[in-house]
Amino acid sequence: MRKVAIVGIGHGKFGVRSDASLRELAFEAVKACLDDSGVPLKEVESMVTGIAGDEFSIALQPSAQVHDYIGFDPKPNFRVEGACATGSMAVRTGWMNVASGLADLVLVVGVEKMTEVPTSMATDIMGRGGDATWEYPFGTTFPGYYAMIANAHMAEHGTTEGQLAMVAVKNHYYGSLNPYAHMQKKIDLEKAMSSFTVAHPLKLFDCSLITDGAAAILLASEEKAKAISKKPVWFAGLSLATDTMRITERESLTSIRASREAAKIAYKMAGVKPSDIDVATVHDCFTIAEIVAYEDLGFCEKGEGGKLIEAKETYVGGKIPVNVDGGLKSKGHPLGATGVSMAVEITKQLRGEAGERQVKNAEIGLTHNVGGTGQVVAIHIFRRE
Amino acid sequence: MEFKNFSLAINQTKVSRFANDLAVGKIMSTSCKKCGKKYYPPRADCSACMNSEMEWSPLNGEGKLVTFTKIYVPPEHFAVRQPLMPFSSVQFEPCPVGIIEVEAGLRIMGWMPKIDLKKIKIGMKLKAVPQVLLDGKVTIVLEMI
Repeated sequence: MRKVAIVGIGHGKFGVRSDASLRELAFEAVKACLDDSGVPLKEVESMVTGIAGDEFSIALQPSAQVHDYIGFDPKPNFRVEGACATGSMAVRTGWMNVASGLADLVLVVGVEKMTEVPTSMATDIMGRGGDATWEYPFGTTFPGYYAMIANAHMAEHGTTEGQLAMVAVKNHYYGSLNPYAHMQKKIDLEKAMSSFTVAHPLKLFDCSLITDGAAAILLASEEKAKAISKKPVWFAGLSLATDTMRITERESLTSIRASREAAKIAYKMAGVKPSDIDVATVHDCFTIAEIVAYEDLGFCEKGEGGKLIEAKETYVGGKIPVNVDGGLKSKGHPLGATGVSMAVEITKQLRGEAGERQVKNAEIGLTHNVGGTGQVVAIHIFRRE
Repeated sequence: MEFKNFSLAINQTKVSRFANDLAVGKIMSTSCKKCGKKYYPPRADCSACMNSEMEWSPLNGEGKLVTFTKIYVPPEHFAVRQPLMPFSSVQFEPCPVGIIEVEAGLRIMGWMPKIDLKKIKIGMKLKAVPQVLLDGKVTIVLEMI
């Protein structure tokens, strides 16, 4: 396999983007990505588009809207889908294109337009990201699934609602420093704790946001990367793992098995340990998900995730800074864009371009993206040279 | 009875008798006739040995609570047309849901209409019981033993 680098990044403003359609959002990110790389679109050989929901975009092949609108035809565009992990699966697919030798320059676009449909319908669509036959009849929603994980984690490990809220406080703090974030505002513990319950014990501020947005990256082979970019960021390890459709059949309800499997593979491929990671973006669709991710990725021992945030070890300056771009929690979670946005953030960090949120001398970064309730998990480890 | 009286949306499956069995008071599982692996929810095909000859048998619904929640912001299907929200006489007063383990690795999800949220404790003993609703739909509830 050939070496692959990220040589361009682009990020649109995340939020309730009632001013823009799916294809227009994608255009913003693609334009920014091409500007960043200095590569004209005509030199890009192939593209991969991550869009999770036809139901959100109210179209059967929304990816065709994207390649049409940016003017990519007649070159190949390949759409991938994996619920909330769609973006990272698109990144992985782009990497496969370059690593295999199929192309030297590949554009990866992640985009989702979620607010065109009413919130109750969005909740319904997301709920069917669980098992649409066997779980949906019990009124399950995404907050509901993660609430069940939270209750199990609290019973098994003594994790507290206060610790969950601390994750929200951290991610909102960093979101306030990220101009692309959906909700650029700080919150305090009291505000997080006093917000209304969405699914017991998860409150409003434990939940990520229903967001519109897009992100894009340009991938290049080694030779092209060295010619194009002064600061290429290299893929060092990649993994994808899966688990059962239904949470009722999981061996553990306090851990995401696919995360643990994927972590093992990615660390091995990159030849690094959890303690080597300088900065990480993890899948904080809910605050409990970030705490579980700390444990599954080996940033702390099993059951110690609540204590890790309590000790502020996941802030910049701590043992392992996590989601210092605001995370899904505050930056927002436009499904198809999220995984690509994670890669954009890690690239910024490894280039030393993250401004106030910069982790000093970051050399190795990790992205962790969970689809659904853990049916699929994609992890990428990046290095700068 | 149509399977979607249980599933709400999907109707076409090889295990559609599950809904009929619920209506007559049984929560059914399937077991592989070749390797013996038991499944709940029931499956028409065994993923352990790729065999498709399955045997149906009722589950004893007693088990321990593995986890639970109470969803205050319901999906559209349950929120918009209130009578479809089982056990919900008052608008937006939802019903807890939980998961019990009835045999090693076999877990049943169900509504918990008669149990106050404050009294729910993980590990408590409960029984999964089929229930026919007023609108003719069938579902599963978890009750105190």
